[in-house]
Amino acid sequence: MIKYVLPALVIGVLAGYINNQFGVSLLNIVFSEYIFTFSLFLLLFLMGLQFAADRQATAKMRMAGLKMLVFPFAVALGSILGGFVGGLILGIDVFASMGVCAGFGWYTLAGPLAGQLFGLKWGALGLAVNLLRELVTIATAWLAAKLDRYAPIAMGGATAMDTTLPIIVQYSGQDTLITAFSSGFILTAAAPFTITAIAALAH
Amino acid sequence: MILLALSLALGLAMGYCLRGRRLLKVERLVLGVILVLIFSLGFSIGSNSEFLTVMPSIWLNAVVLLALALLFSVVFAKAAVKLVKI
Repeated sequence: MIKYVLPALVIGVLAGYINNQFGVSLLNIVFSEYIFTFSLFLLLFLMGLQFAADRQATAKMRMAGLKMLVFPFAVALGSILGGFVGGLILGIDVFASMGVCAGFGWYTLAGPLAGQLFGLKWGALGLAVNLLRELVTIATAWLAAKLDRYAPIAMGGATAMDTTLPIIVQYSGQDTLITAFSSGFILTAAAPFTITAIAALAH
Repeated sequence: MILLALSLALGLAMGYCLRGRRLLKVERLVLGVILVLIFSLGFSIGSNSEFLTVMPSIWLNAVVLLALALLFSVVFAKAAVKLVKI
């Protein structure tokens, strides 16, 4: 799987870069907006279909029940603590670095929001940290799943409900679909509030 | 976000009607759609010149923050899984 995913990503980045040099904004909109959104919806539909048709996966989910809500909470706490420790080590604003990490991988939100709340420099960092989180999850999920099958879900953070979900399920197993989706969903819902709350604490 | 949840719910409902069947064609289709999705994600990153230009100056901070956020997330999540036995 990864042997197809990485080339697709690299070719995509190159194609986007080259297209940007030529300034064909129509192609950019078609790929970045329409095809991206459509394939995301289609994928979630297909994955729901696969999951519900699989008797074993649904049985495992029933056993987990509400306990899986603990999972995104742990991921959120871990991400923010990571930002805190990272801020101390790098000698930068600890609140801003916690805020940046509290995007949980949602870079389109974390970039602009961190830029607005902490300053432009932090906006760029917010974009980078969270975009890299998504890319690193895509690229290393196969390895992380071997060490711990829930690790890719934790790494994916908010993206576990969309872009990294198929990769996670591929390597962690069909029965992790709902844990991954619900974790991603809760983290996505929480991200705007956590970033803003951290900024409020800083001021 | 609501639409994403709706797509998943629709898939779940249809999948429930097809319970117990092995959907080989769907598995292949999923792989195809994943590749299209990843390609278009790459495309939007590649087109984002703002991101590409700031990257060299902030990469060290970004890598350190990300590595620690990932490390603590994975450790905490592992502890959570053990604690509540998901």
